[in-house]
Amino acid sequence: MRVLVCGVGYRFLRDNAVGVYITDTLALQASNGIEFEDLGYHPVGFTQNLEERPPYDRIVFVGAVDRGRPPATVKAYQYDHVLPDVTEVQERVGDSVTGSISLDNLIIVSEAFKALPDDVWIVEIEPADETWGEGFSPEIEAKLPEIMETVWSLTRP
Amino acid sequence: MCFKNLPIEFDAAGNATLKPGAANPYSYIETPAPTPIEDDPERMRELFARNGAVRRVDFDPVTRVAGALAFHTVVDLENRQVLETASMATLFRGYEIILKGRDPRDAIFISSRACGVCGGVHATCSALACEMAFGIHPPPMGVVARNLLLSVEYLYDHPIHLSLLAGPDFSEPAVRETNPEIWERATRTRTTGRAKHGYEFMSELMTDLTPLTGKLYLEGLHYTRLAREAYVLIGGKYPHPQTVVPGGVSTTIDASDLNEIMLRVVKYFDYGRKTAAIWDDISDFFYEVNPRYREIGTRPKSMIEPGQWDDPYADEGTFKNCDDWGRRRWAPPGVIIDGELVTTSLQMLNAGVEEFVEHAFYEEWTGNGQNQRFATDPAGNPLSPYHPWNKETIPKPTATSWKEKYSWSTAPRWDRQAMETGAYSRIYAAALTGGADFRDSPYLNSTGHSMQIELPQAALPNDPIEWSIPETWGAFERNRARAYCILYTAAIAYDNLLIAYDLLRKGGPDAKMSTPYKVPKDHQIGVGLWGAGRGYLTHHLEMDKGVIENYQILTPSTWMASPKDPFGNPGPYEEAVMATPLLENYEKPEDFKGIDVLRAIRSFDPCMPCTTHLHMDDRTITREIISCACGSDGPHEH
Repeated sequence: MRVLVCGVGYRFLRDNAVGVYITDTLALQASNGIEFEDLGYHPVGFTQNLEERPPYDRIVFVGAVDRGRPPATVKAYQYDHVLPDVTEVQERVGDSVTGSISLDNLIIVSEAFKALPDDVWIVEIEPADETWGEGFSPEIEAKLPEIMETVWSLTRP
Repeated sequence: MCFKNLPIEFDAAGNATLKPGAANPYSYIETPAPTPIEDDPERMRELFARNGAVRRVDFDPVTRVAGALAFHTVVDLENRQVLETASMATLFRGYEIILKGRDPRDAIFISSRACGVCGGVHATCSALACEMAFGIHPPPMGVVARNLLLSVEYLYDHPIHLSLLAGPDFSEPAVRETNPEIWERATRTRTTGRAKHGYEFMSELMTDLTPLTGKLYLEGLHYTRLAREAYVLIGGKYPHPQTVVPGGVSTTIDASDLNEIMLRVVKYFDYGRKTAAIWDDISDFFYEVNPRYREIGTRPKSMIEPGQWDDPYADEGTFKNCDDWGRRRWAPPGVIIDGELVTTSLQMLNAGVEEFVEHAFYEEWTGNGQNQRFATDPAGNPLSPYHPWNKETIPKPTATSWKEKYSWSTAPRWDRQAMETGAYSRIYAAALTGGADFRDSPYLNSTGHSMQIELPQAALPNDPIEWSIPETWGAFERNRARAYCILYTAAIAYDNLLIAYDLLRKGGPDAKMSTPYKVPKDHQIGVGLWGAGRGYLTHHLEMDKGVIENYQILTPSTWMASPKDPFGNPGPYEEAVMATPLLENYEKPEDFKGIDVLRAIRSFDPCMPCTTHLHMDDRTITREIISCACGSDGPHEH
């Protein structure tokens, strides 16, 4: 089984960097069939990269998303491949090409350009602090082992 | 004499000095910003009573999630005027502070992370700043490798802007929705560029600009891919390259790599010709429909551009000699004021730059001009206390007030004037030189009022293409010039590829990719001066004991998204939107979409994450529309 795990977010924005921290760390355990990628870049380039590679059986996205939940909430779920309307998709493309990096944009744009396999999992982490700087909030710091295990478990068949 | 506002004069030998007599020459008295309409209930009542069609409309023009830019307007929908504007960058990212105390080489990789698109040029600017501070310079092949990287990066940027960001505003769905009468006319208007782009009627061209499904939209996507493929052959990764280092590029190039790049670059010959013809047709069609489209996003022809693409045989990159090597670049440095090229000197360009924070969420660091680290630059030219080498980044968030502080973007100014910058400013400055002050190329000919580009034939006939300086400057001309910049950039990439083949063939020290260096332990300063795909970019570095003391990044969108300055001048977005007539077709205020305002802002090719390295989680696009600001909410708390 070929699995790609993508860490999404900006480095140096505290909890927003949790996704890329997770993939940086787990990349040390990369093995045959399991790849890790820092997705601190825009979704249009990502979709093009995917098209050039042999297909993955599963892609796992991990990143911080502020949805107003209690800080450090971890939610893992299988993507339903449902797209918003065309207007919103184009707005997400516009957002992406002006340099912004976000988990929602990445998934929507990748899906719109038909770059994703059927089996896609998303691990969202509710950030407590997305201001500038390095290091995580205490809430996220305490959850790192759980997040790591959640993501790692999704690399298994 | 290029300065009219700064206290700088020139002696008989042309050396810049401070004007004598002033005790505090760079101090100024702040001009208060006008009272916002919503803070002036009497004026608001008067406007509302007059026609009842005054609206506060706040745009987030290009983003959905990351909230790149909030843009506040008050519009009079009956008289089709914009009455008030404020451009607001929304959160501080603090790269300048994160970099303090680090090894200066870290800046190459950290500054690249400011943005998901423009990382390559940030990395290069950091490397250039390091090289100046370290006293080193890459060998010719290292310079050529960077020139190639940063030409294909722009061949990525320009199509992405034209096809994916600006193009949709001129597509069938957008035009049908906002100006159905223009769509109707497009169905019976023949194009003039059919031989190059293949479209007989304007409506067919507009249909293919449709987001996600239009052929031109998808073709633009394809060309971004080709450019990225070329980039990674040298850069390793894009947009965060792994091979840009002080002293050159940490990889090797062989003929196979160059062939792979060449195969991709030549594809832009025809694509560039086609794209120029498309944007000629779009601009000319809208002007014909309504000449007032020339006023969309108009502002003075005042631009700044540090130049790019170094001459590989300019043998050093010191600040002392930057006027010489700057004028040997393929794209010259240039400051244009009201359409006149006032300087191509990198030293004067640098000396004229200041940043002001009266309307930004930062603390003033000079004590009203009293304190500054550097009174002069390394060549002895006077420096303002507000210059980036003297700047300190001290964030000071407060409540948002359109009259006081409302943005995380500073207000950069040159000679205390608002400047815009972009791909177009480099072709504009090069065209104005008339061939002086930039590197000769067999493919480019500057006439003083235009730029002629002639490349070898691909599939289309190799007719010379000529971009001419327009009479009026606005949104359509920005897009048109950027379209011509595809071919302009392809010409420079091609020129550099041929030099790379030659260097490879000859071998020897000139064919090396990098030069060895040691990180100095004493006090040094440096600056990287290299325009990004989207315009002006500088990185100012001060280091001591082997680590960064101060680091200042000044990006294109910081210039253009800037708030008002202490002299009462609006930032370029604010100025351009204020001048924009509302030509959209709406019967009721509720139908107003703001397409002309968005066209104006998007024509600048905004790259907002670089501006303050910002991030916002507001999900709304049009944040608020109220019928009368008499009852508007108060200041927003951050």
